[in-house]
Amino acid sequence: MERFIKELAKKRILGSKCPNCGYTYVPPRSRCGKCYTKLGEENLTELSGKGDLVSYTVAHVELDGHGNFLDLGEPKVIGAIKLEGADSTIFMPIKEIDPKEVKEGMKVEVVWGEETKGELADMKYFKPGGR
Amino acid sequence: MRNVAIIGCGQTKHASRRRDVNVAEMVADAAWNAMEDAQVTPDEVDSIVDGNMQGFGGIAQAEQWMGEWIGAPGKPVLRIATGGTTGGSVAQAAYYQVASGLSDIALAVAWEKHSDSKEAGATTGLLHVALGNFFHTFNYGMDLKSLVATAAVGAAAGVAVYQARHYMHRSGCRIEHLDMVAAKDRSNAAKNKYAHLQWPNCTPDDIAKTKMIVEPFRYGHICPASDGASAVVFASEDIAKKKTDRPAWIKGLASYSDEENQMMSENSGGTGIIDASEQMACRLSAMKAYEMAGIKDPQKEIDVAEIYQPFPSQELIFAERLGLFDETTAWKATEEGETEIDGRMPLDPSGGTNATNAIGSSAMQRVLEAALQVMGKAEEHQVPKDVHNAVAHGWGGVTNYIVVTVLGDSPRR
Amino acid sequence: MMNRRVAIVGYAQSRHQYDMQQTREDMVFDVAKGALKDAGIGREDVDTVITASTDFLDGRTISNVFLSMAVGAYLKDESKVEEDGAFAALYALMRILSGNHDIALVEGHTQASVFNPHQVSSFTFDPTFDRQIGLLNDVSTAAIQARMYMNGYDVSEEQIAGVSVKNLANAANNPNAQRKMPDITVEEVLSSKLYYDPIRELTISPSSDGACALVLASEEKAKEITDNPVWIEGVGSCQDSYIRDRDLLKIGSLQIAAEKAYKMAGISDPFAELDVLEISEKFAHEELMGYEALSLCREGRGKVLVEEGITEKYGEVPVNPSGGALAADPICATGLIRIVEAAKQIREEADGYQIPDVYKALAHGQFGACAQKNVVFILGGE
Repeated sequence: MERFIKELAKKRILGSKCPNCGYTYVPPRSRCGKCYTKLGEENLTELSGKGDLVSYTVAHVELDGHGNFLDLGEPKVIGAIKLEGADSTIFMPIKEIDPKEVKEGMKVEVVWGEETKGELADMKYFKPGGR
Repeated sequence: MRNVAIIGCGQTKHASRRRDVNVAEMVADAAWNAMEDAQVTPDEVDSIVDGNMQGFGGIAQAEQWMGEWIGAPGKPVLRIATGGTTGGSVAQAAYYQVASGLSDIALAVAWEKHSDSKEAGATTGLLHVALGNFFHTFNYGMDLKSLVATAAVGAAAGVAVYQARHYMHRSGCRIEHLDMVAAKDRSNAAKNKYAHLQWPNCTPDDIAKTKMIVEPFRYGHICPASDGASAVVFASEDIAKKKTDRPAWIKGLASYSDEENQMMSENSGGTGIIDASEQMACRLSAMKAYEMAGIKDPQKEIDVAEIYQPFPSQELIFAERLGLFDETTAWKATEEGETEIDGRMPLDPSGGTNATNAIGSSAMQRVLEAALQVMGKAEEHQVPKDVHNAVAHGWGGVTNYIVVTVLGDSPRR
Repeated sequence: MMNRRVAIVGYAQSRHQYDMQQTREDMVFDVAKGALKDAGIGREDVDTVITASTDFLDGRTISNVFLSMAVGAYLKDESKVEEDGAFAALYALMRILSGNHDIALVEGHTQASVFNPHQVSSFTFDPTFDRQIGLLNDVSTAAIQARMYMNGYDVSEEQIAGVSVKNLANAANNPNAQRKMPDITVEEVLSSKLYYDPIRELTISPSSDGACALVLASEEKAKEITDNPVWIEGVGSCQDSYIRDRDLLKIGSLQIAAEKAYKMAGISDPFAELDVLEISEKFAHEELMGYEALSLCREGRGKVLVEEGITEKYGEVPVNPSGGALAADPICATGLIRIVEAAKQIREEADGYQIPDVYKALAHGQFGACAQKNVVFILGGE
């Protein structure tokens, strides 16, 4: 996880590919949850940052951290994304598209912060990715 | 009635802050160590029981995220959390998984990673227990300085202070005896590679020199707040006999709960038990566990005990409640060296909770350490005699929860 | 098969509502006493007590520490599961099957009005990644699953709303239900407040305060206690992977749990052999996915069962005649309530919503995002 976050500064998204069963995790982890093989630095693999939107929801509310649902002025899209080369699904914001236009199966790609500092926020959001 | 035995144990090294691992990795360490020790693969494990105090680590239902690290997907998983007794309750639930016939090999995992919360030891969890102390302030009188000091070292101290005072008053035990217990526990811990507070050759004088926090507890008496995890593998009789020559059989167990009003409780309702060292639930749990185990005279038949003693007074109080010493005599026995690793009735050869306290896991560690003694696997802190029967104990809540497990080298008949 | 027969011999539940004007202690005391009374036994007859509650939901550590007296566990062998009460029933069952105990009292409760349980759910996600991104809670993840299911099997919002209509109308005849809507329509469901598309107010279970308790007994004791025992004929439980690494198009762990329970109970054709089901559907679409996981129909065909009225009270396989979780969701009590409601049907005590001729019932409890873990009970009458 630490490597994963550090590499974000270089605009790289890392995953772990299990040498035994081939399941590729993102973010990376120390043990495969499918076959329980240990995963190390040598199993890290770089992912392209592009993927498919396998599902999504349009949020009209958000929690404020204290138990209240706040109404959102502008609905936000939460995407479930399968990155190319990965088997895990990650959940990230989808922007630069009208929520009504979002479709399952769309191609999406990561948008990085202008300055990437080696923190999770470097992956700002995903946007529709062209062919 | 199906016999169940422990066939493997695993722990992590305990420390104030295990910054080198995240909680999933830490728990996985213990779980995999246990499975390796038991010589079982994750596919052979057919049920899992886990627990920790979720308020302390700040993750709710952590096994939902962490499950994959311990081989959970596709298996029945039960989450148990009962305060200080959590680890013991988790172990007992895993026993029941197998004893019920619904499972043949159950993995029990318990942990605590206090350091994930902002302040180790001063998390929402322990501070809440401190609430009990406010009632003491209002009802029995505790000066502000003591109250603040209590909160600083871990709120449970307040509860234990009154308990210790009652015992000392009744029995003639003096603060020097608490020094002796703590010194023994810290020295024992030095022989336990996983323990937190290791003080080789610690003497009562070493402890006596430490600062008084709140009478009668010195700094050197009080348990640490540890990050750590432990895991135990339970198996049915058939499987246990195939996997190992020396399984640790579960011969008896009970977990009776007592009146919470002994701390006046949140709603200050009802009449409280004034003497928190009375511990009727422990007496009853022990009686039930011994009865199941066929033990009629624990003083003669129990070879070693692992008692949950974040405070040294509790080692003495509970040793008596577990029937290992006549009432009011445990402190004398300590003075005479009977409770040392090589003594007649060794208590906490691992150092116990006094030396290592990862709350969710500590009560499981008592079961684990007792199992190691029966299996002859306690390495440097193995007691130098034949261990036929061992008893593991835990307390929790506001001293109203108890868990007692009797283990032995032969199955129940 | 189990080595000993165990039956449900008594039960009680609260009138579930938002912000019950009762302390937790009183609420728990009432159902514990009520269950014992229903069974016709006293506290002295109980060997062991297992409760269900969670520290995060109750807003305090060791959530049951001040409740052992209220639940009758004083000086009794007791323990607590930190999840849905149906898992407490499972643990109590194990304690009796072991032979160490004969009679168990099981209790579960949550006062969800204390702290928004959806907020609590946000604390269950991966603290190293998902939680920091801050998008996930039980509702948003359910919405993602719902949309995947709808797209995967061409299921419409109307079909999903059909579950809410069925259950909330059913609830009107259940005196313990919180949300009763006898005249509810699909239009009303689809115009209720949108949370995370497609999930709306009326397709999410309400936050309820409530408690439930039941008494389990070994065969010998059960026969002494009652003429009308409800036997536990099969049980199964399973936990799925974390949300990033599981197939959200189905509730896989429910399927595995159900298969185990069916096998133990000797059920080969659940659609034909089950007379009624009580499922914990915290979101309306979960009931449709539940039909499939429980093998009542093929994958993707859940919509047909609801459209054709098959799971209505008058249908071939009634599901949730009590109203289910959509009618009341006092979280840690919810699965236990499903067991009680199924038992009520077998004992013919479901006044006002009794299904005729019930001999075999299924009860289900779940916990975790998108029903990550599940437990299934098969119950049978004499």
